[in-house]
Amino acid sequence: MARALNELRSVYVVGIGWHRYQNPSETSYVTLGLAAIREALADARIEWPAVESSYVATALLGMAAGRPMLRHLGATGAPLLHIENASASGSTAFRQACIEVASGISDVALAVGVDKRNMVRRSDTGIDHLADDAIVPFTHFALLTNEYAGRHHVSVDDIALVAVKNHRNGARNPNAQRQQDRTLDEVLGGKKVSGSLTALQCTPIGEGAAAVIVASDDAIKRLGINPDRAVRVTASVGRSERVYPPGVGFDAALTRETVELALAEAKRTPGDLDIIELHDAFTVEELHYIESIGLCAEGQGIAMLKDGALDIGGRCAVNPSGGLIAMGHPIGPTGIGQIGEITMQLRGEAGARQHRDARVGLAHMVGVGAVCYVHLLERSA
Amino acid sequence: MQPLRLLKSQLYSERGDEGRLADPVLRGGRCRCGYVFFPMQTYGCERCGSHDDALTPQELSTHGILLALAVVHLHADKNRLAPFTVVKVALDNGPVVRTLLADDSGEITLGQRMKAKLVPVRQGDGETVYDLRFTAIV
Repeated sequence: MARALNELRSVYVVGIGWHRYQNPSETSYVTLGLAAIREALADARIEWPAVESSYVATALLGMAAGRPMLRHLGATGAPLLHIENASASGSTAFRQACIEVASGISDVALAVGVDKRNMVRRSDTGIDHLADDAIVPFTHFALLTNEYAGRHHVSVDDIALVAVKNHRNGARNPNAQRQQDRTLDEVLGGKKVSGSLTALQCTPIGEGAAAVIVASDDAIKRLGINPDRAVRVTASVGRSERVYPPGVGFDAALTRETVELALAEAKRTPGDLDIIELHDAFTVEELHYIESIGLCAEGQGIAMLKDGALDIGGRCAVNPSGGLIAMGHPIGPTGIGQIGEITMQLRGEAGARQHRDARVGLAHMVGVGAVCYVHLLERSA
Repeated sequence: MQPLRLLKSQLYSERGDEGRLADPVLRGGRCRCGYVFFPMQTYGCERCGSHDDALTPQELSTHGILLALAVVHLHADKNRLAPFTVVKVALDNGPVVRTLLADDSGEITLGQRMKAKLVPVRQGDGETVYDLRFTAIV
């Protein structure tokens, strides 16, 4: 019979690391990736030969980018797999690393995401559409913003408050691409992109790397890893889009069903969540997804935002890293960076961004195609 | 009357017997499970997986309701000069489609009745070709 991750042996995040997300530069992806991996190894206080398997998440670097990077850590001969799953590439790599350890096939596995700006090429299905070339992602989400504002009678200026919060969080994150506080006037006054979306309400294009090391109880004991800093992965769910009733937005519907499964797997409710890192590539997404997760009823997201309930120190800190809007979205690294941020928060090591008494965190990514990945992490003690 | 030269004739057509003043139709499909989709294809039904002969062409009326609109201010593709307006329309037959708003459409608001028309767009060789755009029903 099929089983969930939580029914297999326990898996823990034991090491996290980044190369800062940044504007496109001349830095090679090898430099970016190695920095993140070495930081994660140092964080776990283990050496590279202890890693028994690697998952490399990248969407834009082309074929087989992993081995030319990993060989500089000392070629151990350990297996390696590349994962491309659009924006959810990193989340998917993390899930596969967790599954490998939970199954008992490995005791220690690495998920590393690395990407640099590059052309996005999508395969031709042979089915044409009326004007797909006119509807790039920011216009897809501009349409959703217009629809959300109309359906719930909210102002698009209020939707932009998501960006003010996330820029504020990013300003306190040394790994964020955008580290500047922004007022609502600055957000609204920036370059117009599509519909009511302005540049500061959209994720920036950038590069960077994030790495996470997961391990079993056996490995924690054998390698002398500090168990108090290990964060347990209590749910892992991946889903893809189904056919929803006409007019129902697939982004929100897919998130709702994926989160429901993840919460059930960890035996948690939305009210248990202290930290959420979610796919806020565009401001309206944060409202859609907190409503799909069940923090509040549909259309009530703005009220929570205005009450400060989604701030660090509020009822549930949403995107304390700065999210995709401020921390950035280099694609391959993003989902892995979310796991790193939640781990930092649950350990109580998030410094200026620390949410008080954080015990349960949820990571959420969607990817065009469309796929959705959700993980729950919990403090062990 | 000469048929119009269409930019994407596999996706829509003039309604033949009523001439070019009539509304165009979309070339959709219907599965034997009842699922109606656009555009027509025979790879397989997204709802039930039936394929080939189970899927038959069905002309869809372009009449529907406006779900959302967005004026696009920035667009990298030089073949489409911003600004232009994209609309999302729930067809009366079921499928939701997204394409451009006709330049001469009247003011539109959410919930508005919409339909499509064929509008002239220029191509490189100078010959006039027509593409499908939505417009408000006033």
